[in-house]
Amino acid sequence: MIDPVIGALLAGSFALLFAGAALHKLLDPARFHAAFTAYGVLPPALARLSAVVPLLELTVAAGLLVHGSRVGATAAGAALLVSYAAAIAVNLGRGRRDLACGCGGPNDRRPIAAWMVWRNLCLVPLLGVSVLPHSARGLQPADALTIGAGTAVVALLYMSLDHLLGRIQPRAVLLRRAP
Amino acid sequence: MTALAISNAVLWLLVLVLSAVVLALVRQVGVLHERIAPAGALMLNRGPTVGEPAPVLEVADLDGHPLRLGSARADGRSTLLLFVSPGCPVCKSLLPAVKSSRKDERAWMDVVLASDGDTREQREFVRTQGLDGIPYVVSAALGLAYQVGRLPFAALLDEQGILRARGLVNSREHLESLFEAKRLGVASLQQYFSGAV
Repeated sequence: MIDPVIGALLAGSFALLFAGAALHKLLDPARFHAAFTAYGVLPPALARLSAVVPLLELTVAAGLLVHGSRVGATAAGAALLVSYAAAIAVNLGRGRRDLACGCGGPNDRRPIAAWMVWRNLCLVPLLGVSVLPHSARGLQPADALTIGAGTAVVALLYMSLDHLLGRIQPRAVLLRRAP
Repeated sequence: MTALAISNAVLWLLVLVLSAVVLALVRQVGVLHERIAPAGALMLNRGPTVGEPAPVLEVADLDGHPLRLGSARADGRSTLLLFVSPGCPVCKSLLPAVKSSRKDERAWMDVVLASDGDTREQREFVRTQGLDGIPYVVSAALGLAYQVGRLPFAALLDEQGILRARGLVNSREHLESLFEAKRLGVASLQQYFSGAV
Protein backbone atom coordinates (compact mmCIF):
# COMPACT_ATOMS: atom_id res chain seq x y z
CA MET A 1 0.00 0.00 0.00
CA ILE A 2 1.54 3.32 -1.03
CA ASP A 3 0.27 6.84 -0.86
CA PRO A 4 -1.26 7.98 -4.18
CA VAL A 5 1.16 10.91 -4.24
CA ILE A 6 4.16 8.54 -4.25
CA GLY A 7 2.53 6.48 -7.00
CA ALA A 8 1.81 9.54 -9.11
CA LEU A 9 5.31 10.92 -8.56
CA LEU A 10 6.90 7.64 -9.71
CA ALA A 11 4.56 7.29 -12.69
CA GLY A 12 5.17 10.90 -13.74
CA SER A 13 8.94 10.59 -13.44
CA PHE A 14 9.11 7.35 -15.42
CA ALA A 15 6.75 8.72 -18.06
CA LEU A 16 9.12 11.68 -18.43
CA LEU A 17 12.12 9.32 -18.65
CA PHE A 18 10.59 7.18 -21.39
CA ALA A 19 9.19 10.14 -23.32
CA GLY A 20 12.61 11.84 -23.19
CA ALA A 21 14.35 8.69 -24.40
CA ALA A 22 11.85 8.31 -27.25
CA LEU A 23 12.28 11.95 -28.24
CA HIS A 24 16.07 11.60 -28.52
CA LYS A 25 15.63 8.57 -30.77
CA LEU A 26 12.95 10.20 -32.94
CA LEU A 27 15.05 13.34 -33.44
CA ASP A 28 17.74 11.35 -35.25
CA PRO A 29 16.33 7.99 -36.37
CA ALA A 30 19.27 7.24 -38.68
CA ARG A 31 21.78 7.58 -35.88
CA PHE A 32 19.69 5.43 -33.56
CA HIS A 33 19.31 2.81 -36.29
CA ALA A 34 23.11 2.68 -36.66
CA ALA A 35 23.57 2.34 -32.89
CA PHE A 36 20.80 -0.27 -32.71
CA THR A 37 22.35 -2.50 -35.38
CA ALA A 38 25.84 -1.97 -33.95
CA TYR A 39 24.71 -3.64 -30.71
CA GLY A 40 24.53 -6.88 -32.69
CA VAL A 41 22.17 -8.67 -30.31
CA LEU A 42 19.34 -9.21 -32.79
CA PRO A 43 19.63 -10.99 -36.16
CA PRO A 44 20.09 -8.48 -39.06
CA ALA A 45 16.61 -9.35 -40.37
CA LEU A 46 15.12 -7.69 -37.28
CA ALA A 47 17.13 -4.46 -37.71
CA ARG A 48 13.94 -2.66 -38.74
CA LEU A 49 12.74 -3.02 -35.15
CA SER A 50 14.82 0.09 -34.37
CA ALA A 51 11.88 2.17 -35.63
CA VAL A 52 9.54 0.45 -33.18
CA VAL A 53 11.62 1.11 -30.05
CA PRO A 54 10.84 4.85 -29.71
CA LEU A 55 7.15 4.21 -30.41
CA LEU A 56 7.16 1.54 -27.72
CA GLU A 57 8.77 4.00 -25.32
CA LEU A 58 6.17 6.66 -26.12
CA THR A 59 3.38 4.14 -25.56
CA VAL A 60 4.86 3.18 -22.19
CA ALA A 61 5.16 6.86 -21.23
CA ALA A 62 1.52 7.52 -22.11
CA GLY A 63 0.33 4.26 -20.54
CA LEU A 64 1.97 5.09 -17.21
CA LEU A 65 -0.06 8.29 -16.94
CA VAL A 66 -3.46 6.60 -17.48
CA HIS A 67 -4.84 4.71 -14.52
CA GLY A 68 -6.30 1.76 -16.44
CA SER A 69 -3.15 0.90 -18.40
CA ARG A 70 -0.60 1.51 -15.65
CA VAL A 71 0.12 -2.15 -14.88
CA GLY A 72 0.62 -3.10 -18.54
CA ALA A 73 2.78 -0.05 -19.21
CA THR A 74 4.87 -0.79 -16.12
CA ALA A 75 5.48 -4.36 -17.28
CA ALA A 76 6.43 -3.17 -20.78
CA GLY A 77 8.66 -0.43 -19.35
CA ALA A 78 10.42 -2.89 -17.04
CA ALA A 79 10.93 -5.26 -19.99
CA LEU A 80 12.47 -2.40 -22.01
CA LEU A 81 14.82 -1.41 -19.16
CA VAL A 82 15.92 -5.01 -18.60
CA SER A 83 16.48 -5.67 -22.31
CA TYR A 84 18.60 -2.49 -22.63
CA ALA A 85 20.62 -3.62 -19.60
CA ALA A 86 21.02 -7.08 -21.13
CA ALA A 87 22.09 -5.68 -24.53
CA ILE A 88 24.70 -3.45 -22.86
CA ALA A 89 25.90 -6.27 -20.58
CA VAL A 90 26.27 -8.68 -23.52
CA ASN A 91 28.36 -6.16 -25.46
CA LEU A 92 30.48 -5.30 -22.42
CA GLY A 93 31.03 -9.05 -22.07
CA ARG A 94 32.22 -9.09 -25.68
CA GLY A 95 34.74 -6.43 -24.74
CA ARG A 96 33.18 -3.74 -26.93
CA ARG A 97 33.83 -0.83 -24.62
CA ASP A 98 33.74 1.76 -27.42
CA LEU A 99 30.26 0.91 -28.68
CA ALA A 100 28.02 4.00 -28.84
CA CYS A 101 25.18 3.52 -26.34
CA GLY A 102 22.50 5.12 -28.54
CA CYS A 103 21.11 6.92 -25.53
CA GLY A 104 21.18 10.66 -24.89
CA GLY A 105 20.88 13.57 -27.28
CA PRO A 106 21.92 13.90 -30.93
CA ASN A 107 25.51 14.90 -30.13
CA ASP A 108 25.99 12.36 -27.39
CA ARG A 109 28.29 9.61 -28.57
CA ARG A 110 29.18 8.22 -25.18
CA PRO A 111 30.19 4.58 -25.09
CA ILE A 112 28.37 1.89 -23.14
CA ALA A 113 29.50 1.34 -19.55
CA ALA A 114 28.79 -0.94 -16.62
CA TRP A 115 27.02 1.78 -14.64
CA MET A 116 24.28 1.90 -17.29
CA VAL A 117 23.49 -1.74 -16.59
CA TRP A 118 23.27 -1.08 -12.84
CA ARG A 119 21.20 2.07 -13.40
CA ASN A 120 18.61 0.16 -15.41
CA LEU A 121 18.50 -2.67 -12.90
CA CYS A 122 17.97 -0.15 -10.07
CA LEU A 123 15.18 1.59 -11.99
CA VAL A 124 13.15 -1.61 -12.45
CA PRO A 125 12.17 -2.14 -8.77
CA LEU A 126 11.37 1.59 -8.48
CA LEU A 127 9.06 1.23 -11.47
CA GLY A 128 7.54 -1.81 -9.78
CA VAL A 129 6.71 0.22 -6.66
CA SER A 130 4.46 2.49 -8.71
CA VAL A 131 1.95 -0.32 -9.38
CA LEU A 132 1.52 -1.26 -5.72
CA PRO A 133 -2.09 -0.60 -4.63
CA HIS A 134 -2.72 3.03 -3.73
CA SER A 135 -4.30 3.94 -0.40
CA ALA A 136 -7.71 5.57 -0.66
CA ARG A 137 -6.67 9.08 0.35
CA GLY A 138 -8.34 11.96 -1.43
CA LEU A 139 -5.84 14.21 -3.20
CA GLN A 140 -5.71 17.85 -2.10
CA PRO A 141 -4.37 20.92 -3.89
CA ALA A 142 -1.14 20.67 -1.87
CA ASP A 143 -0.55 17.23 -3.37
CA ALA A 144 -0.41 18.78 -6.84
CA LEU A 145 2.59 20.80 -5.66
CA THR A 146 4.30 17.68 -4.31
CA ILE A 147 3.71 15.76 -7.55
CA GLY A 148 4.60 18.59 -9.92
CA ALA A 149 7.65 19.93 -8.12
CA GLY A 150 8.72 16.44 -7.11
CA THR A 151 8.72 15.25 -10.73
CA ALA A 152 10.71 18.30 -11.80
CA VAL A 153 13.29 17.74 -9.04
CA VAL A 154 13.58 14.05 -9.92
CA ALA A 155 14.15 14.96 -13.58
CA LEU A 156 16.81 17.57 -12.72
CA LEU A 157 18.64 15.22 -10.36
CA TYR A 158 18.47 12.39 -12.91
CA MET A 159 20.04 14.63 -15.55
CA SER A 160 22.75 15.70 -13.09
CA LEU A 161 23.61 12.11 -12.17
CA ASP A 162 23.54 11.07 -15.81
CA HIS A 163 25.94 13.87 -16.69
CA LEU A 164 28.22 13.10 -13.74
CA LEU A 165 28.46 9.38 -14.44
CA GLY A 166 28.36 9.54 -18.24
CA ARG A 167 30.44 12.59 -19.12
CA ILE A 168 32.49 13.73 -16.18
CA GLN A 169 33.49 10.49 -14.50
CA PRO A 170 35.24 8.96 -17.58
CA ARG A 171 37.12 12.20 -18.19
CA ALA A 172 38.08 12.45 -14.53
CA VAL A 173 39.54 8.94 -14.76
CA LEU A 174 41.57 9.94 -17.84
CA LEU A 175 42.83 13.06 -16.08
CA ARG A 176 43.87 11.12 -13.00
CA ARG A 177 45.84 8.72 -15.19
CA ALA A 178 47.53 11.50 -17.16
CA PRO A 179 51.14 12.18 -16.19
CA MET B 1 -1.74 23.83 9.02
CA THR B 2 -1.32 27.03 6.99
CA ALA B 3 2.18 27.42 8.34
CA LEU B 4 3.04 23.86 7.35
CA ALA B 5 1.55 24.25 3.88
CA ILE B 6 3.46 27.47 3.27
CA SER B 7 6.67 25.98 4.62
CA ASN B 8 6.17 22.98 2.34
CA ALA B 9 5.62 25.18 -0.70
CA VAL B 10 8.67 27.29 0.10
CA LEU B 11 10.78 24.17 0.61
CA TRP B 12 9.71 22.70 -2.74
CA LEU B 13 10.60 25.96 -4.42
CA LEU B 14 14.03 25.95 -2.80
CA VAL B 15 14.65 22.27 -3.65
CA LEU B 16 13.71 22.99 -7.28
CA VAL B 17 16.09 25.94 -7.48
CA LEU B 18 18.80 23.91 -5.77
CA SER B 19 18.41 21.00 -8.22
CA ALA B 20 18.59 23.41 -11.14
CA VAL B 21 21.77 24.90 -9.68
CA VAL B 22 23.26 21.42 -9.20
CA LEU B 23 22.52 20.55 -12.85
CA ALA B 24 24.06 23.84 -14.02
CA LEU B 25 27.18 23.20 -11.89
CA VAL B 26 27.53 19.64 -13.17
CA ARG B 27 27.33 20.84 -16.77
CA GLN B 28 29.90 23.52 -16.00
CA VAL B 29 32.23 20.90 -14.53
CA GLY B 30 31.75 18.92 -17.75
CA VAL B 31 32.74 21.95 -19.84
CA LEU B 32 35.84 22.46 -17.68
CA HIS B 33 36.83 18.84 -18.08
CA GLU B 34 36.49 19.16 -21.83
CA ARG B 35 38.75 22.23 -21.81
CA ILE B 36 41.51 20.80 -19.64
CA ALA B 37 41.58 17.24 -20.96
CA PRO B 38 44.43 16.68 -23.41
CA ALA B 39 42.91 16.85 -26.89
CA GLY B 40 45.57 14.57 -28.30
CA ALA B 41 44.99 11.12 -29.68
CA LEU B 42 45.09 8.61 -26.86
CA MET B 43 48.33 6.65 -26.83
CA LEU B 44 48.01 3.00 -25.99
CA ASN B 45 51.10 1.57 -24.42
CA ARG B 46 51.67 -1.31 -26.74
CA GLY B 47 52.60 -1.84 -30.34
CA PRO B 48 55.47 -0.23 -32.26
CA THR B 49 57.35 2.56 -30.50
CA VAL B 50 57.09 6.11 -31.75
CA GLY B 51 60.41 7.33 -33.13
CA GLU B 52 61.50 3.91 -34.31
CA PRO B 53 61.12 2.33 -37.74
CA ALA B 54 57.60 1.06 -38.37
CA PRO B 55 57.10 -2.61 -39.28
CA VAL B 56 57.55 -3.10 -43.04
CA LEU B 57 54.70 -4.99 -44.67
CA GLU B 58 53.83 -5.90 -48.25
CA VAL B 59 50.07 -5.61 -48.67
CA ALA B 60 47.57 -5.16 -51.49
CA ASP B 61 44.60 -2.80 -51.59
CA LEU B 62 41.05 -3.79 -52.57
CA ASP B 63 41.82 -3.16 -56.26
CA GLY B 64 44.84 -5.47 -56.06
CA HIS B 65 47.55 -2.78 -56.29
CA PRO B 66 50.55 -3.82 -54.18
CA LEU B 67 51.59 -1.41 -51.41
CA ARG B 68 54.77 -1.44 -49.37
CA LEU B 69 54.05 0.10 -45.98
CA GLY B 70 56.69 1.10 -43.48
CA SER B 71 59.70 1.39 -45.78
CA ALA B 72 61.48 4.64 -46.65
CA ARG B 73 59.75 6.40 -49.55
CA ALA B 74 61.66 7.75 -52.48
CA ASP B 75 59.12 10.54 -53.12
CA GLY B 76 59.63 11.98 -49.61
CA ARG B 77 55.98 11.72 -48.63
CA SER B 78 54.56 10.60 -45.31
CA THR B 79 51.81 8.03 -44.85
CA LEU B 80 48.83 8.18 -42.53
CA LEU B 81 47.59 4.68 -41.79
CA LEU B 82 44.04 4.72 -40.51
CA PHE B 83 42.48 1.53 -39.19
CA VAL B 84 38.69 1.47 -39.63
CA SER B 85 35.93 -1.10 -39.85
CA PRO B 86 32.45 -1.13 -41.40
CA GLY B 87 31.03 -2.06 -37.99
CA CYS B 88 32.39 0.97 -36.13
CA PRO B 89 30.05 3.99 -35.89
CA VAL B 90 32.81 6.35 -34.70
CA CYS B 91 34.84 5.46 -37.82
CA LYS B 92 31.94 6.57 -40.03
CA SER B 93 31.64 9.88 -38.25
CA LEU B 94 35.40 10.40 -38.50
CA LEU B 95 35.61 9.72 -42.27
CA PRO B 96 34.55 13.25 -43.42
CA ALA B 97 37.39 14.67 -41.29
CA VAL B 98 39.77 12.12 -42.81
CA LYS B 99 38.75 13.12 -46.33
CA SER B 100 39.20 16.82 -45.68
CA SER B 101 42.53 16.25 -43.88
CA ARG B 102 43.67 14.21 -46.86
CA LYS B 103 42.89 17.18 -49.08
CA ASP B 104 44.43 19.79 -46.73
CA GLU B 105 47.63 17.82 -46.14
CA ARG B 106 48.03 16.41 -49.65
CA ALA B 107 51.29 18.30 -50.11
CA TRP B 108 53.19 15.96 -47.82
CA MET B 109 50.98 13.05 -46.85
CA ASP B 110 49.08 10.10 -48.31
CA VAL B 111 46.21 8.39 -46.52
CA VAL B 112 45.91 4.61 -46.46
CA LEU B 113 42.84 3.02 -44.90
CA ALA B 114 43.23 -0.39 -43.34
CA SER B 115 40.65 -2.88 -42.20
CA ASP B 116 40.15 -6.54 -41.55
CA GLY B 117 37.39 -9.03 -42.32
CA ASP B 118 34.95 -9.88 -45.08
CA THR B 119 36.08 -8.32 -48.41
CA ARG B 120 32.53 -7.97 -49.77
CA GLU B 121 31.47 -6.02 -46.70
CA GLN B 122 34.57 -3.81 -47.07
CA ARG B 123 33.73 -3.03 -50.71
CA GLU B 124 30.21 -2.10 -49.68
CA PHE B 125 31.67 0.15 -46.96
CA VAL B 126 33.99 1.86 -49.48
CA ARG B 127 31.06 2.41 -51.84
CA THR B 128 28.56 3.76 -49.26
CA GLN B 129 31.12 6.01 -47.54
CA GLY B 130 32.52 7.36 -50.83
CA LEU B 131 36.09 6.23 -50.18
CA ASP B 132 36.98 5.61 -53.82
CA GLY B 133 40.44 6.91 -54.61
CA ILE B 134 41.83 6.24 -51.14
CA PRO B 135 43.92 3.05 -50.96
CA TYR B 136 41.98 0.57 -48.83
CA VAL B 137 43.92 -2.39 -47.46
CA VAL B 138 42.25 -5.45 -45.96
CA SER B 139 44.91 -7.26 -43.95
CA ALA B 140 44.84 -8.90 -40.55
CA ALA B 141 48.65 -8.89 -40.45
CA LEU B 142 48.73 -5.09 -40.60
CA GLY B 143 46.43 -4.73 -37.58
CA LEU B 144 48.51 -7.26 -35.66
CA ALA B 145 51.77 -5.50 -36.52
CA TYR B 146 50.46 -2.24 -35.06
CA GLN B 147 48.67 -3.99 -32.18
CA VAL B 148 45.41 -2.24 -33.00
CA GLY B 149 42.95 -2.89 -30.21
CA ARG B 150 40.42 -0.13 -30.59
CA LEU B 151 39.10 1.71 -33.62
CA PRO B 152 39.49 4.18 -35.25
CA PHE B 153 43.25 3.92 -34.80
CA ALA B 154 45.81 5.98 -36.72
CA ALA B 155 49.55 5.75 -37.24
CA LEU B 156 51.64 8.41 -38.96
CA LEU B 157 54.78 7.23 -40.78
CA ASP B 158 57.29 9.76 -42.06
CA GLU B 159 59.20 9.62 -45.35
CA GLN B 160 61.93 7.45 -43.75
CA GLY B 161 59.38 4.89 -42.58
CA ILE B 162 59.78 6.02 -38.96
CA LEU B 163 56.63 5.90 -36.84
CA ARG B 164 56.00 9.53 -35.88
CA ALA B 165 52.73 9.32 -33.97
CA ARG B 166 49.98 6.85 -33.31
CA GLY B 167 46.86 6.56 -31.22
CA LEU B 168 43.15 6.22 -30.98
CA VAL B 169 41.49 8.99 -33.02
CA ASN B 170 37.88 9.84 -32.27
CA SER B 171 37.70 13.33 -33.72
CA ARG B 172 39.26 15.75 -36.14
CA GLU B 173 41.23 17.27 -33.24
CA HIS B 174 42.77 13.89 -32.45
CA LEU B 175 43.67 13.39 -36.10
CA GLU B 176 45.29 16.80 -36.32
CA SER B 177 47.17 16.17 -33.09
CA LEU B 178 49.06 13.44 -34.98
CA PHE B 179 50.18 15.93 -37.64
CA GLU B 180 51.04 18.38 -34.87
CA ALA B 181 53.06 15.69 -33.08
CA LYS B 182 55.10 15.11 -36.24
CA ARG B 183 55.56 18.85 -36.78
CA LEU B 184 56.72 19.40 -33.18
CA GLY B 185 58.74 16.20 -33.09
CA VAL B 186 57.01 14.81 -30.01
CA ALA B 187 55.52 11.38 -29.60
CA SER B 188 52.26 12.52 -28.07
CA LEU B 189 50.53 15.53 -26.60
CA GLN B 190 50.87 13.96 -23.16
CA GLN B 191 54.64 13.98 -23.62
CA TYR B 192 54.53 17.55 -24.93
CA PHE B 193 52.58 18.77 -21.89
CA SER B 194 54.80 16.96 -19.41
CA GLY B 195 57.82 18.71 -20.94
CA ALA B 196 59.71 15.48 -21.55
CA VAL B 197 60.70 16.52 -25.05
